[in-house]
Amino acid sequence: MRACIRAVALPALAFVAWYSGITTAQDKYPSRPIEFVVPWGPGGGADQVARKLGQLLEAELKVSLPVINVAGATGQTGHAKLISANADGYTIEVMTGDTFALLAEPNPKIKLADFTPLGILIQQASAFFVAENSAMKTWADVEAAARTRALKVAVTGFSSPDDITVNYFAARGLKLSSVPYAKPGERYTSIVGGHADLLYEQAGDVRSLVDSKQIRPVIFFYGGKVNDFPGIPTSTSLGHNITLPQFRVVLVKAGTDPARVKLLSDAIARAAQTADFKAYLKEQYADEASFVPAQEVLPYMQRWLEEAKKVMAAIPVKK
Amino acid sequence: MIEVARHLAGGFVDLLQAANLLALGVGLVVGMLVAVLPGLTLVMGVVLALPFTYGMPVTPSIILLTAMYISGTYGGAITSILFRIPGEPMDVPLLWDGWSMAHAGEPARALGWTLFAALTGGLITATVMVTLAVPFAKVALTFDSPEYFSIVLFGFTSVVTLGGGSLANALISLFLGMLIATVGVDEIYGVDRFTLGIDMMRDGIGYLPVMVGAYGVGEVLVRLEQGFASAPMAGGGAIKTRIPSLAEAWKIRGTFARSSLVGVICGIIPGAGATIASFVAYGVEGQYGPRRRELGKGIPEGIVAPQVASTASVGGHMVPLLTLGIPGSGATAVILGAFLLHGVQPGPQIFTTQSALVYAIFASTFAAVIGMGLLGYFAIRPLVKVLFLPEAIVSVFVIMFCLVGAYSEHNNLTDLWMIVVFGVVGYLFERYRFPIAPMVLGCILGPIAETSFLTSMISYQNDWTIFFTRPVSGVVLALAAVALLLPFYSRLRRKPDLAAKTP
Repeated sequence: MRACIRAVALPALAFVAWYSGITTAQDKYPSRPIEFVVPWGPGGGADQVARKLGQLLEAELKVSLPVINVAGATGQTGHAKLISANADGYTIEVMTGDTFALLAEPNPKIKLADFTPLGILIQQASAFFVAENSAMKTWADVEAAARTRALKVAVTGFSSPDDITVNYFAARGLKLSSVPYAKPGERYTSIVGGHADLLYEQAGDVRSLVDSKQIRPVIFFYGGKVNDFPGIPTSTSLGHNITLPQFRVVLVKAGTDPARVKLLSDAIARAAQTADFKAYLKEQYADEASFVPAQEVLPYMQRWLEEAKKVMAAIPVKK
Repeated sequence: MIEVARHLAGGFVDLLQAANLLALGVGLVVGMLVAVLPGLTLVMGVVLALPFTYGMPVTPSIILLTAMYISGTYGGAITSILFRIPGEPMDVPLLWDGWSMAHAGEPARALGWTLFAALTGGLITATVMVTLAVPFAKVALTFDSPEYFSIVLFGFTSVVTLGGGSLANALISLFLGMLIATVGVDEIYGVDRFTLGIDMMRDGIGYLPVMVGAYGVGEVLVRLEQGFASAPMAGGGAIKTRIPSLAEAWKIRGTFARSSLVGVICGIIPGAGATIASFVAYGVEGQYGPRRRELGKGIPEGIVAPQVASTASVGGHMVPLLTLGIPGSGATAVILGAFLLHGVQPGPQIFTTQSALVYAIFASTFAAVIGMGLLGYFAIRPLVKVLFLPEAIVSVFVIMFCLVGAYSEHNNLTDLWMIVVFGVVGYLFERYRFPIAPMVLGCILGPIAETSFLTSMISYQNDWTIFFTRPVSGVVLALAAVALLLPFYSRLRRKPDLAAKTP
């Protein structure tokens, strides 16, 4: 009997040892490409940061990170893709402040509990831009015009910081209204082609349009000074308590194995410190100290959300 | 003009460098392969190629991506014509006349016409790009969402042209396609639609699984039902590539002119693109072509119109990208990404700051078009031979390519199930004589129509007259109205020729 047990047990043990060896090998993460969801169209800021980071992470993680653009609904369509994927660390997403602002709404569909942040990569001040050939040259011109006639502002989508900012001024007597263009190409055409009067955007995203003198910023929404554009006023310097800086954070679905989360967030932290990435930030007119490590992201998001909620509460008529 | 010619000559000299020529050759071959695979779209191919350009200098990078883009607008035509499976959405209109001509025993002639059309469209677009880039870009800027909507609506009217058999069935198919496209989170307000509370459904149903499933898998299921017993293509022995003679082409010069114009215009407008260009050009041919009544029965005009327009749209797309820094399509957005990664900012200043680069790109466009022609010419012969392999084996490969291509697009198994589901739908459509094309058209154009309609309404304070009072939009809508009403009018006038055809 004992011999019999031994005859079965020994090979069984050997098998278990061999099999667990195999499963560890299979568990090696990452062992296949990681899908990088961009909830905005190709060519925009979110797309650029994802492609840049993807390139740097490929060197770190030794797998490819194909970028998938799933535009629409202020980034909710793409976010839905992350949420419907498995929590295995093989789908990550870059969420922008635009989508995050939806959390300030009364019954947000996006939930903080649905995702785990891996790090904020870039923070940029947003601005209102006018076309260079517009009659309005400065913020004072815009204010004067908006008191007498309706001005259209090209934004990414409803309930985004763009839209909140527009409503903030609308509540203060300026006749501004949002027109959503989810695809960056169409949004930029609208301002250059004169279909919209103002464009809400981050300077880095439209650098080619700014450098080629097709559009110019008239006001930055920022707490400090914007070094690259010294002559342009900031919202806070004019007494407007609204900044809502654009930020882009990388997420993985909640419930992902903490070891994988750590591996990813560490790789992202290393990528953010490369000279290549720093040069990218400069090119984007972004804050040099943009990077926020994984563990500090949630408090940052909470503070941001409080500002958005405060601004929204101060807007009397909600559309 | 002499200045332009001088710069262009310099561009050709630059192009002769080994790295640039290599990029051109690789781009042409890869672009064609990507387009031939039904599940893998051209845009995805360009996206997949982007990482390879990181380590390359800027000029060959852009040449590689542009060459892929150009030859990609041709490759998908081959599978449309030979297997009745569109390689790219823009190849759907080629199913009617292209496949009909091939099925009538002249596959090499159909492919020859496509090749000639792609070559002509490409050369015209390259010429336009070089000479008229700046003024054309200015015109494109005047287009806003009402114009996008009107153009897409005109694209829908091609359903009437293409319905052939029953108009009612075509409309049912179209609306079903639009309904499928509404599933998921809506574009403007972020509302869940028809998601049945399933997370997977919030993701929506893309046009790709619908197109690949209904055409690719559906076609195989139909053949399976017949026991893979269909006779080899009639008159298939004559597989000599037949490029149309210049005299033949001259006879339909009107088609070339109309379609090139449609292609270039749709290319320049951000938000339109090769697919819309292709449908609209076919629709225009169905309205204004002298042989419009024969359209759909395998006449060269029906092959030339969509193909010329698809290829011509490429140069159109490059115009706003280079001159304004605005990407008008998925593929040009990736090319913009390549520019930015190399620290080059496209925009009006690029002609002065990077003029050597710009003219190298222009020169490579000409070279890519001609290279595509040569490649296509030599590819036709072996490709037509595939038709003589046992049907069952070809079908296995068709299914495999559909699934592999679609999987590599999103790395998502759900898409593969969708393909199978729509394969069954496609089979049932064939069986009960419903045309598939309107459904695919609805899936592709439906969301664009919806977004541009809603954006127009928001932008113009819910003033619906805006679609009629803006000149370009008004003209396009009038054309669409004519397209819709003409068939009824002609049916009233003469006894209809209802040769049933289900595209």
